Amino acid sequence: MRWNSLHELSMADAIIKTVIDAAQKNDAIEVLEVTIEIGELTLLNPEQIKFILEVLSEDTILEGAKFNIEIIPAEIECSCGYKGKISADDELDHYNPLILCPSCGKGDFKIIDGRECNIKNIKIEKED
Amino acid sequence: MHKIAEVEIQNDILIANKKLAKRNQRLLDKAGVFAIDFLGAVGSGKTTLIEKLIERMDFSIGVIAGDIISKFDAERFKRYNIPVVGLNTGKECHLDAHLVEHGLEDLPLDKIDLLFIENVGNLICPVDFDLGSHMRIVIISATEGDDTVQKHPLIFKEADLVVINKTDLADAVGADVDKMVDDVSKINPNVKVIKTSLKNNEGIEDVIEAILEAI
Repeated sequence: MRWNSLHELSMADAIIKTVIDAAQKNDAIEVLEVTIEIGELTLLNPEQIKFILEVLSEDTILEGAKFNIEIIPAEIECSCGYKGKISADDELDHYNPLILCPSCGKGDFKIIDGRECNIKNIKIEKED
Repeated sequence: MHKIAEVEIQNDILIANKKLAKRNQRLLDKAGVFAIDFLGAVGSGKTTLIEKLIERMDFSIGVIAGDIISKFDAERFKRYNIPVVGLNTGKECHLDAHLVEHGLEDLPLDKIDLLFIENVGNLICPVDFDLGSHMRIVIISATEGDDTVQKHPLIFKEADLVVINKTDLADAVGADVDKMVDDVSKINPNVKVIKTSLKNNEGIEDVIEAILEAI
């Protein structure tokens, strides 16, 4: 598996560092769950992120934590006035969604949502 | 007794990169430097295009050459006696704003008008990572196949200029260059597309004109 040459590694590494920092600040004994939001239009593969997170968690306060990944749907604001969700072309995989405005069928729009890689929250165990 | 607690974090890693990118841009603006990020696949002609621009553009130019581990590109640029920083990403497949920030530290920004940043050869990974440049040029070659644009729409969506290189080889590999131009226009209707054959010095003046317009 060639995951170590992909940008998922740097993202997962940044996620782990942020979570460890937050866990320590909150006097956690253990991190039980981590919820991450990933935008549909990022070129991040959620499965790979999850796998790398599990590997990087070993021997840290995150070891054994459950990683929940929530996908944020893409939303656009088009020059034709349309504002809302888009549908990706099913024939292409997630790396290459062909994105067009569902209203006018053109590509002249701004992406509002779908480019996130957000650590939403963590569930920790701590001393009472 | 132990208790379970939920802690809100709301920390977006990509937004953190964007913030750093903005900081890079402020630093560049303060020094009066216009920065261009060059993106494209391995072998598309990024290094050659930058070389031709260095030869022809009457500016004080600096270069940041991103590569996985080699120094080959950085060495190529050093022949022009201009400030060059080679950034090795190690295992990473893209430059990010943090790496570029370190690259900027090693450049005499007050003596540079125009900064060329050559990203790692890749059409996927660099897309999510703003560097703080003022212009993004995406270069692809006809030899990559005329479905390249359709297969990588997001990089073209974010481009400020698209160069289609090696048009002289299109027939040999059965690539329809007009289809590639058309595909770019569908994804990004406002972006300028320039056809080049860098080896034969065709189209370079058009690229220079587009850069001058952007500056």
